[in-house]
Amino acid sequence: MSDTAQLASDAGSRDPAVGLRAVRALRMLVDRLEALQVENARDQGWSWQEIAHCLEVTRQAVHKKYAGGRGLLRRER
Amino acid sequence: MFERFTDEARQAVKLAQQNARRLNHHSIGTEHLLLGLLDQPQAVSSGVLGRHGLDHERAYQAVAGLIPRTPKDALDAEALETIGIDLSAIRDKVEAVFGPGALDRPPQRDHRGGLSSGRHIPFSPGAKKTLELSLREALALKHGYIGDGHILLGLLREGRGLGSRVLADAGIDAETVRREVVLRLGTRRKAG
Repeated sequence: MSDTAQLASDAGSRDPAVGLRAVRALRMLVDRLEALQVENARDQGWSWQEIAHCLEVTRQAVHKKYAGGRGLLRRER
Repeated sequence: MFERFTDEARQAVKLAQQNARRLNHHSIGTEHLLLGLLDQPQAVSSGVLGRHGLDHERAYQAVAGLIPRTPKDALDAEALETIGIDLSAIRDKVEAVFGPGALDRPPQRDHRGGLSSGRHIPFSPGAKKTLELSLREALALKHGYIGDGHILLGLLREGRGLGSRVLADAGIDAETVRREVVLRLGTRRKAG
């Protein structure tokens, strides 16, 4: 077990610095996984609506995040 | 344009991406194209550059020295371990589907402001220009294909990127190399 993990388990994971760092690390991981999966879904022809449904977010939210808003050649479906 | 590329030229572009990934760089620049060319010891371009004393290892060290790695992109494996998440297990599964390095870079904003995964490393404007110039070099020589030699000619013609900087720092004269590459390419109209 690494030093940090040892520290965390010793402290019963009550140290906010350790806990918050884990949350941040997890969020970064989730962001990367989501981008990969959304890109893969789009490559396979999924609509924004279908992707949004799976992620349980609105179509607008997923479209705004991954398709962007600027430019004229937006792929909107 | 890529349909006219020979196997060596395609491989050079692919290896440029791999070199950028190994260096943890955010875009494929002229310096990575140079590394892609040198990474194929039997190809025309690496043969010519090798005779001037530049091989892949030396160029790689030079590029690594010119641009620092970006360690802030690294996922915090230690922090994930504190909540029982084994990052290496996740990485293995994700890379099995999306290829090596799929989790190594954060999502990037494209020109429209949308996010794309960090899986594909984009070309820098200088590298795009270099590839365009390689086509122009092939056309000027009346060659019906674009080989790795033409990419090197494009790199020399582009002249301003880090690729050229590495060549200059190695004491290589662009005009001399240019002449030697043209000579090696000869007048063959077809690839092969």
